[in-house]
Amino acid sequence: MLEVADISVAYGQHRALTDAGLSVGRSEIVVILGANGAGKTSLLKAIAGIVACLPGKRVTLSGRDIAGLPAHEIVEAGLALVPEGRGIFADLTVAENLLLGANPKRARDGEAARRERVLALFPRLGERLGQTVRTMSGGEQQMVAIGRALMSNPDVLLLDEPSLGLSPLLVRELFASLRKVRESGVGLLLVEQNARESLAIADRGYLIENGKITGSGTGTELMSNDAVQRAYLGGIVASAV
Amino acid sequence: MTNAIFTGLMLGGMYALIAMGLTLQYGVARIMNLSYGEFLVAAAFSSYWLFTGWALNPLLGLALVIPAGFGVSLLLYRVLLTPLVRRARTRGALEVDSILATFGMMFIVQGIMLSMFGGAYFSYSFLAIPVSLFGEILALNRLIAFGLAVAVGLALYLALTRTRLGTSIRAVAVDPMAAQLVAIDVVRTSAFAFALGGALVAAAGVLISMFLTFSASSGVIFTMKALIVVVMGGVGNLLGCLVAGLALGLSESLVATFVDPGLTLAVNFALFLGVLLVKPAGLFGRAQR
Repeated sequence: MLEVADISVAYGQHRALTDAGLSVGRSEIVVILGANGAGKTSLLKAIAGIVACLPGKRVTLSGRDIAGLPAHEIVEAGLALVPEGRGIFADLTVAENLLLGANPKRARDGEAARRERVLALFPRLGERLGQTVRTMSGGEQQMVAIGRALMSNPDVLLLDEPSLGLSPLLVRELFASLRKVRESGVGLLLVEQNARESLAIADRGYLIENGKITGSGTGTELMSNDAVQRAYLGGIVASAV
Repeated sequence: MTNAIFTGLMLGGMYALIAMGLTLQYGVARIMNLSYGEFLVAAAFSSYWLFTGWALNPLLGLALVIPAGFGVSLLLYRVLLTPLVRRARTRGALEVDSILATFGMMFIVQGIMLSMFGGAYFSYSFLAIPVSLFGEILALNRLIAFGLAVAVGLALYLALTRTRLGTSIRAVAVDPMAAQLVAIDVVRTSAFAFALGGALVAAAGVLISMFLTFSASSGVIFTMKALIVVVMGGVGNLLGCLVAGLALGLSESLVATFVDPGLTLAVNFALFLGVLLVKPAGLFGRAQR
């Protein structure tokens, strides 16, 4: 559904990403693993049209070329990003955030039903519709961010470190919710540092190092991959257990 | 005493209306429009011209001047300000650029008005009928202007808080980066907010011309007062505009009645500084982190 190839990003002299490519299918969870500064966030932002890329990138969504579209039109095409730090409107209420989520024209039909589904996925949001988002806990804010992105009726949802700053229990809840999102047919691409939890729900994954995609495989393959074991799963100790 | 309070409230209502347009332009579009007062005076002259030249009732004139204000502001944003928006890396840079550009704009608009009308003071008599309210004698034109200012302010408040378009305008004000993520075209929305501010200042200009004398060079006073109200109330906050506008009007009127009319400007700034000392982000503003 989402096909990405040859994305390169540079910030001045610094090359953040070189010829990266990946794909996400319908109802598929794909995880990108990489250390801090490896280029994960740049990759997501480049796909979403928030940072400018070097020439030559190809991005298609359901066969439609969306490379070079401005960010707001990429959302309209069916790709939603939940950025690191969540990118929600902290000064507005939960209800207003969800209303704005359904701002794209593609999200207007069936808005009420989609809102019902989001509130069923995150019941806590339903109890707090009138609350200003700034005053909510980190876990609740993450729910607002994902709920708002789902309101845009996306084909593909991009999530940048959704588990950051959440307790282990909340992380498990969050990933269970993402599984439910997948069942509705949405493709999910997430960047994570929490390799164990994210590989457990992932269908496929990519490894990224120094701005390059260095490996890929199914979730179980990556789980048993030596490099992944060493870098993300606690190395020898983990494999011995 | 009652009369001073009434006068102050009516004046304050006008200040609030004037400031609402600026808070849209500054709070949403991030354009610090120094030519704001000039557009108010231009609207006042338009109303004067329509009234004296075409015998058109200023209240009907609103129907012409408000769309004109919207259109001219939209054009101004597209032609003069969009290049600045495109090249600005940060909102701070845009503010500085826009101050310089609109400072120049101020002289252009003022110069055009000076060449057309000269430097004299103008006024016209419209509904200058005394009416009695709660035992006080007030001019009907002031009462009508106040009533319309309240109606416009209320309509704007409801539009911004109860509609999707209004909510998306506020979304751009609080977080333009996040606004892109919900398919909001930030530049287009900013242009719309700027033009809406232009429509509001046009309305304020017409209403003020019904009871106040004005000249081609009185714009700067209005820019200054609007700026005081906007900053005092908290940038981008309509409720802040209302409270700060009324406070300014009341303090002016009370001081003019009981102390000395020459001190009104001093009181403006004393109130302004007092509020900022206690709440640097304004009465309803949120401190930037």
